[in-house]
Amino acid sequence: MKKRVAITGVGLISGLGTSSAFFHRQLCGDMDDPGEIPKDVLQEHQAAPTGVLRFFKPESYLKGKHLRPLDRTGQLLASAAQIALRNSGWTAERLARHDVGLVLGTMFGSMHTISEFDRRSLIDGPACASPLNFANTVINSAAAQTAIWHNLRGMNSTTATGATSGLVAIGYAADLIECGRQATVLVGGADEFCFEAFCAFERAALLSGENDEAGCFVPFDQRRTGMKLAEAAAVLVMEEWDSAAQRGAYVLGEVRGHANGYNPKWKQSGYGACGIIRAMRGAMRESRSSPSDIDYITASANGSVVGDRNEGLAIKTVFDGCCDRVQISAIKSNIGETLGAAGVLQAIDLLEAMKSGTISGIAGLGQVDPELSSLNLCRDSAFVDVQTGMINSVGFDGHACSVIISRSATQSNHT
Amino acid sequence: MTDPTRVAVTGLGLVTSIGQGRQKVWEALLLGCCGFSPVRSFDTRGYSVHIGAEISDFCADQHVLELQPSTIGRTSQLAIAAARMAVQDGCLDLLRVDRDRIGVCVGTTSGEPGSIERFDDQCVRGIMNAVGGEFLNGYPCHVIPLHVARELDLGGEAMTIPTACAAGNYAIAHACDLLRNGRADYMLAGGADSFSRITYTGFARLGAIAPEFCQPFDRNRKGMIPGEGAAILLLESTARAVARGASIYCEVAGYGFSCDAHHMTAAHPQGEGAARSMRLAMEDSGLQPSDVDYISAHGTGTLTNDRLETIAVKKAFGSHAYSVPISSVKSMLGHTMGAASAIEAAVCALAITHGWIPPTMHWRDRDGECDLDYVANSARKHAVKVAMNNAYAFGGNNSSLIMTARATSGC
Amino acid sequence: MDVNVIRTKVKQSINRVTGIEAEAISDTAAYDADLGLDSLSILEIAVDVENQFKFQASDEELSSIRTVEDAVTLVTKRLAAEVG
Repeated sequence: MKKRVAITGVGLISGLGTSSAFFHRQLCGDMDDPGEIPKDVLQEHQAAPTGVLRFFKPESYLKGKHLRPLDRTGQLLASAAQIALRNSGWTAERLARHDVGLVLGTMFGSMHTISEFDRRSLIDGPACASPLNFANTVINSAAAQTAIWHNLRGMNSTTATGATSGLVAIGYAADLIECGRQATVLVGGADEFCFEAFCAFERAALLSGENDEAGCFVPFDQRRTGMKLAEAAAVLVMEEWDSAAQRGAYVLGEVRGHANGYNPKWKQSGYGACGIIRAMRGAMRESRSSPSDIDYITASANGSVVGDRNEGLAIKTVFDGCCDRVQISAIKSNIGETLGAAGVLQAIDLLEAMKSGTISGIAGLGQVDPELSSLNLCRDSAFVDVQTGMINSVGFDGHACSVIISRSATQSNHT
Repeated sequence: MTDPTRVAVTGLGLVTSIGQGRQKVWEALLLGCCGFSPVRSFDTRGYSVHIGAEISDFCADQHVLELQPSTIGRTSQLAIAAARMAVQDGCLDLLRVDRDRIGVCVGTTSGEPGSIERFDDQCVRGIMNAVGGEFLNGYPCHVIPLHVARELDLGGEAMTIPTACAAGNYAIAHACDLLRNGRADYMLAGGADSFSRITYTGFARLGAIAPEFCQPFDRNRKGMIPGEGAAILLLESTARAVARGASIYCEVAGYGFSCDAHHMTAAHPQGEGAARSMRLAMEDSGLQPSDVDYISAHGTGTLTNDRLETIAVKKAFGSHAYSVPISSVKSMLGHTMGAASAIEAAVCALAITHGWIPPTMHWRDRDGECDLDYVANSARKHAVKVAMNNAYAFGGNNSSLIMTARATSGC
Repeated sequence: MDVNVIRTKVKQSINRVTGIEAEAISDTAAYDADLGLDSLSILEIAVDVENQFKFQASDEELSSIRTVEDAVTLVTKRLAAEVG
C-alpha cells in the first residue's frame, strides 16, 4: 500500500525573503509588514533589471566551514536547506541518526561554473584550471554539496526537465516515499542568475525586454511580452506520514498526486496545451480529485506569450464548467521566473495560502488576454479557504508538470 | 522488494568506441578490444596527457532520421541512436502501441558539452553575437530525452537525471519505478555523454588521466581514460514482455542508493557509502552476497577508486567477496561518464543471457590492496544468474543495480 | 623576489582557497596535518600559487608540495631559474 507524503518544513532564498510567511505576505501586497528585508532593499531588487539576489549572504546560513568549495547555486540550495531543516526540527543530531535523502530540480545546474572553468582554461591554459571549480562542473553539484554540508546520506538525486525541474523533483521524491524507499527527503529547486542563462533566454527571444519599461512580464496579461529571469532556491522537507507523526512534526500539507506531461508535437498548432492538460488530469486522477475539488491553482504563467496562452487554454479545457469557481493566481510577476526553484516556490505559496486563508493576486494584471478572459484570475489578494490546491509548471519546450497538495486534516484553518 | 511487479530488459542499444549495436559491442568486449586513441576533437597541446576513448565512426545521419542532426548536440545523437537500437532489438512496433505510455529517462554527466564549449569559444573570441536561439534549445541537459521523444514520437515521461558518473543506474532505477507505479508501459532508459573538453581538462588537472590505457585494479594503474558513449535499455513489466512474446535478457531485481556526504571528489575513506548501497540493493532484491555471480565494477583505474571499491565490496560481501568475479569494462571503453553505468547494466544483461563475463584488460601486477578476482585479461565462461552493477559519482553518490536471470517460476 | 614576500603570497593563496587567515598560518605548517586540508584544496592552492607567480609546475613537483615551506622553496627555485 502506498505511504502518505507529508510536508513538514520549508526554506527559501528568494527575492521576497527567506521566511515563507513573509514571502506570502509580500505576494499578497502587505506593504506594512516590516519583515526581515528592509523595504528599500526589496524595492531596489524589484526595480532593478538584473535578477541577482544582492542581499543574499550565504555565511548567514552556512556556518563553520569555508564556503569556497560551493558555487553560487550550491550556496543558494544549501542555505535554503538550512532554513528548511531548522523549521522542520531536523537537527544535526537527528540527521546523524537517519539517512535523509535529497532530490534537486534544476534547469541549468552549475552551468556558470562549467562555463567559467572552461573559459579560464581557454584563456590561461589547461594547467590554470581550478580543481575546486572542476568538482562543481557536474550538473548535480549543488545537490552533492548540500548533502555534504548537511550530512544527508540517503538517496541523492537530481531531476533535470527544464523549467519544470523543481516541481518534477517534488513528484520524484513523493514516489520514493510512497513506495518506502526513503522515509524523509529534502526536495529542492535552485537556479542561479548568471550571464549564460540570461544570454540563452535573450537570444531565444523569451525575455520581456531590456528593462521593465520596455516589456511586460505579467502573467496572462494582454500586454505581456515575455518573462523576467530571476534566481532563487527553495526546499521542502517531505516525510512519510507516520514517521512524521511519530516524531511530533507539524504537517504543513500532504502531497496527494502528481503527473508530468510531454507532447512531442507541442510546437505544432493546436498541440501546445496537450502536455499541460495531461499533467493536470494525471495529477487529479492520482489524487482522486475532480476539477471541482481544486480550490486554487498557482499557475506557472510568467508573461511568456506562448506559454501563458497554452497554460490558460489547458486550464480552460480541464476545468471546463468549473472555471468560475477555481481561483487562479501566478506569482511570477512578483518574483520573476526562477526556473528550477519556481515549482517549489509555488508550492510554498500554496502551503501559505492554505495556512493563512489568503491567496495573492497577480501583481500588475491589467487587461487579461481575451482568449483567457473566462479564467477566474485573481487581481488582488483575497480570502479563500484552500483545502486542495494545484501547482502547475510549464516548460519552454513542451514539458509540463502538475502537483496537488491538500491541507492536512490536523491543521486548523487560518492559523 | 518494495513492489512485486517484475521488470524485464527486452532490448539493448549500445554506441561505444569499440563498436555500435549490442552484438558488435558484446563480441568486442569478450575479445578485449579497446577504444583508446589520441584525442581528436580538440587540441591537447598544453596538456600532459593526450589519450581518450572517442567514438570515431558515428554517423548521426544513419540514426537521426526525423530531426535534423545538425540542430541537436552529439549527446542527443548518441542517445537517439541507442534508443532506436533498443526499440529494434526489443522488437517493439511503435505503431502498434500507445506511444504516450512510452517514457524516456536518460542519465548524463555533461549533457551537451559541445554546446557550452562553443558558447565559451564565442565568448572568449568576443563574438557573442554569434550565439543564437539554438543555445537554449540545444544546451540544457534536459533536451536529450526530449530529442529522443521527438525523434521517436513518444509522449510519455521525459526526464534527465544528471547524477554524473552514476547517472545510468539512476535512470534505469527510476524507469523501473515508473513501470511499477503504472506511470509508463515501456521505458527507454540509460545514459549518454559525448566527449568533453571540459571534463578532460578537469580530470587532467586532477592528475587522474592515464597516459596510455586504463588498467583497473592493477598495482601500476595510472588513472582513467575519459570517453563517450550511450546505452539505452528497453524496459517493461515481465508480464507485458511475456504477453507480447518478447525475448527477455534479464530482470531488474532491485537497487540501492546512498550518499557519502563526505567530499566532492574523494569517496568515503572506509567505503561505507558504497558498501551501504550494495547492501540496500541486495535487500531490495531479496538476495544474499552468496547469490551474486558477477559484479560489474565502477573500476575507473584511479588509485583511490579501485582501492576503496575493493574495500567496499569486502565490507558488503564479507568472505564471499573472494568468490565473486569482478570486472571493469572501463579497461576497454574508458570512462564514458553518464553512459558508463548504463553500458555496464547492458553488459550485465548480456553476461546473464550468454553466460560469459567480460575481462578487466591490462591487468599485469597484483596490488596488495586489490586482491579480488578481477577476471584478468580474458573473458570467462561463467553462468551468471545474478549480476550487480556498481557506479560511484562525484559528491559521493553511490549506486548499485541488481539484475537477475528471469525466474523460471511465475509468468 | 624576497623570500618573505614569496611566503606572504603563498599564504594569501592558502587564504583564498581555505579562508584560513594568513596570520594564523605558521611558516612551517603542513597542509594536511596542521591545516586539515584535503587533496583537492591542496591542489587548488598549488594552482593558485602557479597563477600568482606565473609558472607551471610539473605533476611531480605539484604532488611533492605538502607544506608551506615546500611551496616557498618551489617558487624560489622557479623564479631563480627564470632570472638565471
